[in-house]
Amino acid sequence: MTDVLFPSLSKDSPQAVGVLATWFVPEGATVSADQLIAEVQVDKVAAEVVAPVAGVVHLLVDEEASVVQGAPIARID
Amino acid sequence: MTITDTPVAPTPASNRRLTTSKAMVEAIAQEMERNPSVVYLGEDVGAYGGIFSSTAGLVDRFGPDRVIDTPISETAFIGLGIGAAVEGMRPVVELMFADFMGVCLDQIYNHMAKIHFESGGHVTVPMVLTMAVGGGYSDGAQHSQCLWGTFAHLPGMKVVVPSNPADAKGLMTAAIRDDGPVVYMFHKGVMGLPWMAKNARSIADVPEGEHVVPIGQASVAREGRDVTVVTVSLSVHHALDVAEKVTADGIDVEVIDLRSLVPLDSDAILTSVAKTGRLVVVDEDYRSFGLSGEVVATVTDHDPTMLKVPVQRVAVPDVPIPYAHVLEYAVLPRHERIEAAVRRAVAI
Repeated sequence: MTDVLFPSLSKDSPQAVGVLATWFVPEGATVSADQLIAEVQVDKVAAEVVAPVAGVVHLLVDEEASVVQGAPIARID
Repeated sequence: MTITDTPVAPTPASNRRLTTSKAMVEAIAQEMERNPSVVYLGEDVGAYGGIFSSTAGLVDRFGPDRVIDTPISETAFIGLGIGAAVEGMRPVVELMFADFMGVCLDQIYNHMAKIHFESGGHVTVPMVLTMAVGGGYSDGAQHSQCLWGTFAHLPGMKVVVPSNPADAKGLMTAAIRDDGPVVYMFHKGVMGLPWMAKNARSIADVPEGEHVVPIGQASVAREGRDVTVVTVSLSVHHALDVAEKVTADGIDVEVIDLRSLVPLDSDAILTSVAKTGRLVVVDEDYRSFGLSGEVVATVTDHDPTMLKVPVQRVAVPDVPIPYAHVLEYAVLPRHERIEAAVRRAVAI
């Protein structure tokens, strides 16, 4: 089981809150390592999130939800 | 062949969706991998990745010799692309906004589009000219136009206008492989950019590997029997939204996504209008002397009696696009105007 974390986009404010802009995979999808699964955004900076490992992905936050940097956004079993 | 009653297993939810911009980048990257003569050049296409993410990540993969940031002279770098194409390369050149065509139209119209004709067919220009089009986000009269009617009017160039991620990939692949100049117009509102208005139809399944959408083929975005909506680009999304809404009143709308303006798939238009007898054309370009009139003439030149009722045109009235949000939405072909046109077409 591997947590996927919201990436740290703002180095100045580690507690910055971003947005889960887009999920590219549905709940329960089987993903491969390095597959694009999400796009996140802090202010106007966007970043891609890829699966760190292969497995079945479980989405922990909704699209458009506000998320603190570093918080888990998905789990891969 | 055996026919059984065994139900087909439901298609599993796709595990691979992309935004339109990522699909476009994937096509460019695959063609750059496949053919070393493919290069990309334009303003802010390198480290910045294109202001509408049309080239995100490409410079990291292919380096600054193949993904080239140019100075701000559209005449110079489009001319550079034409020269490279004439010498056998396959450049993709980005004009940041279609609105900027005015500063470089001599290169586009008198050189890119005409060299093949004027050389008696001996010299080809296998070049793609990409550009962002469209409004809806308060960028003013000089950054919000579609202008595809202008490009389609000038002979010598193919013109493609994808509305969704899969077509963005397939049409880019086809455009790069085409041996003549292709104008590739991407609407900012279909790119799936996180900082633009959210658009659910800008993120969708995209075939992996090689994917080609032939230039000149429209698609039936939605089948229906009561009225045909012929449109392109972001307006396809709006038309589909309207089509879903009016089903509640028993109106069955067919939506034709032209995908290419040149060549125009007149068969697709005629086939649909022959079925429905009612035509609405939705065009985010200016109303007069443009795509909407061309689509209507395609029908009436063939057989005006196909039309049971007068045609409805929903386009930008002949005014510069306003900056003020409310005024801009008033001139753009958005849901309310499309729905009203559909209802008028079926009410008669």
